[in-house]
Amino acid sequence: MMEKKKSSYEIQAAEEGTILPLHSLWRGLRANKLAMAGLTVLVFFIAIAIFAPLITPYAYDQGDLLNTNRPPSYKHWFGTDYGGRDIYTRIVYGARLSLWVGLASVLISVSVGSVMGLLAGYYGRWIDMLNSRLFDILLAFPSILLAIAIVAMLGPSLQNALLSIAIVNVPTFGRLIRSKVVSLKEEDFILAAKSIGMKDRRILFLHILPNCLTPIIVTGTMAIGTAILEAAALGFLGMGAQPPQPEWGKMLADSKDYLLKAPWTVLFPGLSIMLAVIGFNLVGDGLRDISDPRMKRG
Amino acid sequence: MEDMRKKTIVQTFIGLFAFAIILSGCSSNTNSNSNGSKGAESSPSASVDAASSPSASKGNKILIFGRNSDSVGLDLATTTDGESYRVAVNVLETLVVYDPTTKGVSPKLAESWTVSDDGLTYTFKLRQGIKFQDGTDFNAEAVAFNFERWMDKSNPLHNKDGFPYYESIFGGYKGDAQHAIAGITVADPYTVQFKLTKPISSFLSNLAIPNFGIASPEALKDTSRDFNKSPVGTGPFLLTDWKANDTITLANNPNYWQQGQPKLDKLIFKVIPDQNARLTALQTGEVDMIDGVNPEDVRTILQNGDLQLFDTPSLNVGYLGFNTAKAPFDNVKVREAIAGIVDKQALIDAFWAGTATPAVNAIPPVFMGYNGDIKDRTVDLDKSKQLLSEAGYPNGFKTTIWTTSASRIYMPNGEKVAQALQEQLKKINIDAQIQTLEWATYIDKLISHDTDLFLSGWISDTADPDNFLAPLFSVDNTYNFSGYKNEEVNKLLQQGQVETDSAKREQEYRDIQELLFQDAPVVPIAHAKYFVAAAKGVSGFVISPTGANESFADVDMN
Repeated sequence: MMEKKKSSYEIQAAEEGTILPLHSLWRGLRANKLAMAGLTVLVFFIAIAIFAPLITPYAYDQGDLLNTNRPPSYKHWFGTDYGGRDIYTRIVYGARLSLWVGLASVLISVSVGSVMGLLAGYYGRWIDMLNSRLFDILLAFPSILLAIAIVAMLGPSLQNALLSIAIVNVPTFGRLIRSKVVSLKEEDFILAAKSIGMKDRRILFLHILPNCLTPIIVTGTMAIGTAILEAAALGFLGMGAQPPQPEWGKMLADSKDYLLKAPWTVLFPGLSIMLAVIGFNLVGDGLRDISDPRMKRG
Repeated sequence: MEDMRKKTIVQTFIGLFAFAIILSGCSSNTNSNSNGSKGAESSPSASVDAASSPSASKGNKILIFGRNSDSVGLDLATTTDGESYRVAVNVLETLVVYDPTTKGVSPKLAESWTVSDDGLTYTFKLRQGIKFQDGTDFNAEAVAFNFERWMDKSNPLHNKDGFPYYESIFGGYKGDAQHAIAGITVADPYTVQFKLTKPISSFLSNLAIPNFGIASPEALKDTSRDFNKSPVGTGPFLLTDWKANDTITLANNPNYWQQGQPKLDKLIFKVIPDQNARLTALQTGEVDMIDGVNPEDVRTILQNGDLQLFDTPSLNVGYLGFNTAKAPFDNVKVREAIAGIVDKQALIDAFWAGTATPAVNAIPPVFMGYNGDIKDRTVDLDKSKQLLSEAGYPNGFKTTIWTTSASRIYMPNGEKVAQALQEQLKKINIDAQIQTLEWATYIDKLISHDTDLFLSGWISDTADPDNFLAPLFSVDNTYNFSGYKNEEVNKLLQQGQVETDSAKREQEYRDIQELLFQDAPVVPIAHAKYFVAAAKGVSGFVISPTGANESFADVDMN
């Protein structure tokens, strides 16, 4: 009887264990007011990005040279820009671009960084040497400078900006995973898996990677915010989105000549960048607090 | 936990603040101002140091001129861009200068001249006692030396890429069939004689073009120096320092031949690429003068009691060009279709703040031979679509609009004009990308015809239609960015150069404009006004209708 009961308990624990990290993150997040505020902002942006065509009265590249730089009005909620285009429409479509760049670039850097970090941390020796020095080289450049250099080589476009931001962020994730793997591989359960002859691939992806998930999610969320900011900066410098794409940073850059005459043309794109970045940072920050065992509330 | 969170929020705000700084214009701090110490700018490596000149110690009148791009090169024989003119005209001087009031020429290095009855011989008496900035004498030998360098391809000092503007103005080089100058003789040390192969009506005004400034032969012969980076002429200022993409510093030439000039001790040209930042720099006194004024800001400047505005109708055109050597723009119907969607007045209202005049022909209306009978196309999308179908593009095509981020007199907001055109093109199913390049790269692309649709312009150096139409539309001319080849136009352009009967000449130019209008190798958009803004204390500046080539010899400040 005793034995049977124990085993059923174990099974239950194991099942709960696989969903536990995400579940507890969500529970912690709900308790964190600032993080919830951030999440609300994000959900809002995601919603307008998805439903953009339904909630905008104009096309984002539909201009009217007779109505340029008009202040906010009933017809144009956020006013019009230098080309007579509706700023509200452009902001909404811009959310699509910014979220896309943020999510996609981080996804790329997480995938590439994870594989490199896993290999470096697990095998050590020359593989570690090679990967870590590569990370060092990438980290030696200021990130925005490196991003600019990469775009300059590839040619300015939103895709290339996305790619360059992804490359710049690879070492961040690579190092994170590597350090985690270095400590994990000495853990008993990994040693046990090795001793029963489990293949390296299985150990890496089924046992080590899931244990790295929490730091990836936390850092990843923060990185999305940074990526959006970097994409806006590249757009501002003319190295990201190309006209007529309604990218927020590009909108800022193009309208800055009218800063004094038509402040709304820069106010709304600027506010959007700020809100989106703060949103991701608050959520990421909340997630970190929750996942850090030292910060766990009793 | 609270601390950690605060830290991230603080970081977020620092990030946003940094972004706001980028927004406010990336203006780098300058270590000099008009009252500041002068030691900071003089470069130890400069061959001619300002500190050695006697006048340097007596005052510190430093004028800082803010502009949007750096000069391409200061040997003007090799370049024609306004940013290079802006600086080089203060170092190198021409035999005669263009006089905007008489629309003729007035003496400069040449004191007087006579023209033979057949119009083939020009004899110039040179001003005596002028010295180049390196101390050598200016004389007839020097003038001949310069022209030999430009015209003779076998001359060791001839530029390896040639002198395109010389070639364009004088019909080629020595030995070419169309070359206008048969020979130059030095009659006595201060008399130089030009023999022409044919009478050229615009010969004198051609000599006034800043590109033909006379340089010191000794400096040219010195192969250890890059003359393009360190020109030596007879001008009121000498070059002391050039920090690429930042500042060019000119110092007072103490031995300048015109008494009492120059009045400034130093003249610094500073690159501030952003229009707003440039205006802010003027408002805060960081610079004393700016060009590339956004027409949008004209009212702001007029309302500011500490500033003054110089403006003039400029002899220029801003145009949309087609690379006619390339499909689909080799088809005149495609060009006509696109010409039919350009709403010039709307563009001018939006991007020239309404200060420009819509352009029908390439040359502005004040020019001799302007054809006022040509009626401009009206905007008609249906007709354009039909023309595209006839040309074999019923579903449109993909293309690229090339433009520059640098604000030009004729095109202050090129990138935005491109965006408006992009949207307009979409209506006739042409899907256009925009490529925005910085100034020097853009010029290279235009010259190498590496473009599709492009926004460019021309500022005439003289008020003669030849100086406008010949470079832009002669076959194989370097500045014929649209690669336009029309033998009839070419023949008329050549006739116009030699025609001495002014009524006939006028008719030739009228015919040329008619042909150009039908062929539409370019769509003229605007004849822009040219603005320079300055602090109230700046005096003696005379704005030139021929663009960025004002001499600062007589400019003073208090």
